Amino acid sequence: MAFSPLVAPSPLATAPLKKSAVSGPANPVQENESFPQLQGGADREITEQLNDEVRHKYIKAKKLGEGTYAVVFLGHLRTDPSSFVAIKKIKVNTEYKDGLSMDAIREVKYLQELSHPNIIALHDVFSSKDQNLNLVLEYLPRGDLEMLIKDSNIHYGLPDIKAWMGMLIRGVWFCHENFVLHRDIKPNNLLIASDGEVKLADFGLARSFADPYLNMTHQVITRWYRPPELLYGARQYSGAVDIWSVAMVFAELLLRVPFVAGNSDLDQITRICEAFGTPTEDNWPGVSKLPNYIPADASHLVPVQGRDFFLRQFPTAGPVGAELLMSMCTLDPRKRSTAYQALRHNWWASEPRPTNKEDLPRKAGGTKKMGDDLTRRGGELDDQFKNAARQLDFSAMKA
Amino acid sequence: MPPSREAMVHRGDEDEVCPVCKSSRYLNPDMRFLINPECYHKMCESCVDRIFSSGPANCPVAGCHKTLRKNRFRKQTFEDIHVEREVDIRRRVMTVLNRREEEFDSKLDWDNFLEQREEIIFNLVNGIDVAKTEADLQKYASDNMRSIRANQALEAKEVTSFQERQNQEQELARLRRQAAKEEYENERKEILAGREDVLTRLASGRPADAATIAREGQRVLLKKSSARRSEEERIRLKQAALRGTDAKKPGQPAAAAEEGGSGLIKGLRKIKTPEPEKAYDPFGGMVPNQRDYYTLQDHYPSTFLDPVRQDTRMLAGGYDLREYYSRTLLEAFAGLGCFIDEEVSKREGNAFNTMKPVGTQGAALAATSDSQAGK
Repeated sequence: MAFSPLVAPSPLATAPLKKSAVSGPANPVQENESFPQLQGGADREITEQLNDEVRHKYIKAKKLGEGTYAVVFLGHLRTDPSSFVAIKKIKVNTEYKDGLSMDAIREVKYLQELSHPNIIALHDVFSSKDQNLNLVLEYLPRGDLEMLIKDSNIHYGLPDIKAWMGMLIRGVWFCHENFVLHRDIKPNNLLIASDGEVKLADFGLARSFADPYLNMTHQVITRWYRPPELLYGARQYSGAVDIWSVAMVFAELLLRVPFVAGNSDLDQITRICEAFGTPTEDNWPGVSKLPNYIPADASHLVPVQGRDFFLRQFPTAGPVGAELLMSMCTLDPRKRSTAYQALRHNWWASEPRPTNKEDLPRKAGGTKKMGDDLTRRGGELDDQFKNAARQLDFSAMKA
Repeated sequence: MPPSREAMVHRGDEDEVCPVCKSSRYLNPDMRFLINPECYHKMCESCVDRIFSSGPANCPVAGCHKTLRKNRFRKQTFEDIHVEREVDIRRRVMTVLNRREEEFDSKLDWDNFLEQREEIIFNLVNGIDVAKTEADLQKYASDNMRSIRANQALEAKEVTSFQERQNQEQELARLRRQAAKEEYENERKEILAGREDVLTRLASGRPADAATIAREGQRVLLKKSSARRSEEERIRLKQAALRGTDAKKPGQPAAAAEEGGSGLIKGLRKIKTPEPEKAYDPFGGMVPNQRDYYTLQDHYPSTFLDPVRQDTRMLAGGYDLREYYSRTLLEAFAGLGCFIDEEVSKREGNAFNTMKPVGTQGAALAATSDSQAGK
């Protein structure tokens, strides 16, 4: 199925912005358009001029947040002060002295391909004077899902969860349809637009998939949302890894606490086994061949949990919702539902109907949160978890 | 105090006689007269008990053949039986034709409706065209059951809220009175205390201070009462604000005429039925699995891929060759669905939009120039 980014409905139809200008020379008309200027300042390179053109389209206003990896500014179009954007300025990294950091490349590479209402839009890319990369992203002022989950003053119900999950799975489905793995789905990467739409953000760990014989790293996805096959060190995997994360977000939305929150990779496996059942050759053929497979203690085998467990654990989801959740956190990735199957599930048609996005619970102070979310490095947990969880080791990360 | 209704009824009726049993009030001072809204013939309580206790029976008045039931007998409210009858008819018609002003398009329509209603009542009271009028009313009632109910409910709600408001106001007035009384008491006590204080100070102080002490006492009193007044004012304002929020607006009128219109009443506002919500689309308007140029198969023979099919480790990690097939085919055919000429003409149609995406326009123009070169 071909979803051309040209055809997909643009969420910013009212203020369409210049798209994908990172590779100026690949775009012949931009050259044509700027040709008269080129003659004016012939001493400068055409790419530089193009870059300046893009840079001058935006005005940087106040700083929204700063992290180890990036600084996020609030900005707006020079021509229209009411059209806000978030400008993510990626810091020149000590690790990547001679080039761009991998996260930035990934983010630009995949975000400019994907245009969907549930995926954060990348309007432009330019480099500022100090050779820093700046991503002009859609401005999402209402914080993220994590904020809503954690705030005990906010009450939400099944219709709201259904609406959020629908938007999340649609975004993931669109990524997978276009063969992009997100690989870092978690509540604080799910930002909320001013109209209530949930948008998948932070593509710093994204990559394309399905290439045979191409090893991918298993050191991705924030631990609590990491599927068992990655914990067992699989190097070839599929969209099922994102679906596991989606299922964990679903469970977290229902429980309002992370469902399986291990404090080390090993602990995470143990907790998954306890919660969902011990992976064995019976329920997951070939699992013992995975590089980091740890044979389970025969005396400690937990049988794979059935419907009753999910119904008991997540009574708010209702029987149909519990079934969907169960299908999305099946241990064997081949048996796990895909995003497409999840969207075909009859939970969406069953009562209650998902809340309209305008009526979803909201919280003030999202701007700061967006600043924090966008400055975080992929796979990291937030500061408040620092004691609970070890930082991920990215030295093993190869793309 | 005006005489009670009971007294009014009894006054001058000392020798009222029951038309049925001919017993009079003179013999039976406790005699009570009842009427039945079926025929409005008056008879005494004992007659009603006697005749109708064993079920419905004909009216005992000569010439009246109406069948009456005991439970419909009631006391007369108005002395004039014609007034009693008209009030009953009016009440019945009003419960059926209970449209509200909000339901009409214009003031004129509302007035016309009121006139129509009066006419119906007049006809029924005076026996003009009764059969037809009754039939109309019946038909209207059955056609508009829902809106009649809704309007009744609204009315009941308004009545209760009005009563509530009245009770509240009475309570507030009572509190205000009480507060005023208390305040008056306090003030009086304070004046007395102040006076006593001044007196004692005058008694113990030097004669030269007398004037100042007296003046001071006066000032203290004044200050106190003015402070109280402002406090009082504040409370009153607060209560007024509370009343303001309590006064709820009357609910929205029920949806006007049912489908097909009421027929009887003209000028009713058209009901705007809210557009039914569309079914939730989990795919957000996109069509899944739309492959225009190829069909995807589950298996494609390839020696290059054979090792993958056998590699349990790869398969156990969730790697799926079908994703690879799907991706390669998508990439092979992706460009075929894009007709750049069409897209360009569509975009030129929207040329008024000055902020169009430059990148896509660029690509499109480049493509058209290519196609021209091709020619």
